[in-house]
Amino acid sequence: MFGLGDLNLTYLVSITAVSLYVSTAAVALSAALGLPISLAVGFRDFYGKSVVTSIISTGMGFPSVVVGLVVLLALSRSGPLGTFDLLFTPEAMILSQTILALPVLVSVSLSAVQSVPQDLRDAAFAAGGTSTDVALLVVREARYGIVTALLAAYGRAISEVGSVLIVGGNIVFSDSTSFTRTLTTAITVEARKGNIETGIALGAILLALVLGVNALGARFRDRTPGRNGRGR
Amino acid sequence: MTTERPGAGDTGASESDETTAPDPASNGTGRGRTRLAAHDLGHGFGNGAVLEDISLAVEPGEILAVVGPSGTGKTTLFRLLAMFERPDEGTVEVGDDDVWALPEARRLAVRRRVGMAFQTRSLFSTTVEENVSYGLRVRRPWSARVREAVEGLFGREEPSETVEDALRTVGMFDKVDRDAGSLSAGEAQRVAIARALAPDPDVLLLDEPTSNLDPRNTAAIESAMRAARDRGIAVALATHDMQQARRVSDRTAVILDGTCIESGPTARVFESPNDDRVRRFVEGKLVY
Repeated sequence: MFGLGDLNLTYLVSITAVSLYVSTAAVALSAALGLPISLAVGFRDFYGKSVVTSIISTGMGFPSVVVGLVVLLALSRSGPLGTFDLLFTPEAMILSQTILALPVLVSVSLSAVQSVPQDLRDAAFAAGGTSTDVALLVVREARYGIVTALLAAYGRAISEVGSVLIVGGNIVFSDSTSFTRTLTTAITVEARKGNIETGIALGAILLALVLGVNALGARFRDRTPGRNGRGR
Repeated sequence: MTTERPGAGDTGASESDETTAPDPASNGTGRGRTRLAAHDLGHGFGNGAVLEDISLAVEPGEILAVVGPSGTGKTTLFRLLAMFERPDEGTVEVGDDDVWALPEARRLAVRRRVGMAFQTRSLFSTTVEENVSYGLRVRRPWSARVREAVEGLFGREEPSETVEDALRTVGMFDKVDRDAGSLSAGEAQRVAIARALAPDPDVLLLDEPTSNLDPRNTAAIESAMRAARDRGIAVALATHDMQQARRVSDRTAVILDGTCIESGPTARVFESPNDDRVRRFVEGKLVY
């Protein structure tokens, strides 16, 4: 362990690593599940579609502590997922963050998919595209919205406190390395202990991460052709 | 060249087949071309029939103008011809194939012999070159497409000869690297037609391709239609512009109220129509 002034770098680095691992894995899992859902809902007209989209939108407002409580019950010894022995592990935190990020990702990407004009789908079909080709074209056309969905989901996951506190347990080993402590849960602990400097440092890292992820998204949007409007 | 009158039977021919179709094999492409025909088509959308009992055909090496006022069902007809959906009644045939009687894989192969450009702006958010090559890409096996996508990450290749040829046909090759979103409406429409031409279709369907375009772009698109016809492609043009139909088409079919009420060589339809409503329509006296 080494320090820089009053800051414990091992502590800061390990917490940052846990936050990045948990949030990135949760968003990757949300994307793997959510993008097919967005395409399926966006492409098909079916009975009850408006109810499904309303439920998805409602999911964006899930209170994280309630999600944490549900995941806690599911992963506890007597719960349906108790045999996996995941409670108070990073994987339990990934599960709860996935549940929180999924509705955000699906809702925003669904909106992006539905905003692709029917004319473009028709053009892809008329050019000889199969239904798979048309779906890929829609994903390509909706790429900015999908990137926005990923950013929003990442923001929701990495800034989350309540559920990861409940299912992760906010555990730090005796050598100051984090097991389930994230940037957000660490800030609450350090603030409560009066370690304002450490809290500010953690907050700065969190903001830098969010800023960096958004900067990557902006760079993607700016570098891709086809962004100059639909006419002049 | 053939344009059927309703009830002309399933041969695709009508009593007004005075002109002779060019030899489909003599289009200079090294392969024969195919006709597209509709027989007794009927279609509706819940509020009643949009199309009723329409029969027509477009043969290799001709331009067929389908004229009629806006809202008379031309776009619905063209969407049926392009196999977007199955007609409620009647059949669509490409060559000898009744397309809706074919298994899906075979229908895809048949559908890929028909290209279409739309009235509305329909370019993808990418470069002109990628728009025009889209139809070629989707026809390749997935392994080749993945390989090309990976190679594309490491550098840009020159446009293929096919893409170049299609863009030159519409006079847009100088803008091959442009972002499609930066094109004017007329330029975008010309690129959309190049996209339809690039896979060398047997049939080209153009749904109101020049509405609201300036004379220069209209002339370029009409020139591309003639070039396609000269290559042996069967070109069907939906338009409400009577002057354009007279300028470019070999045959004309007039659709009023969802029904084809007269068809034949363009000069004859415009100069001595058999039907009184057609006469009033082409003289601009029938207002819808």
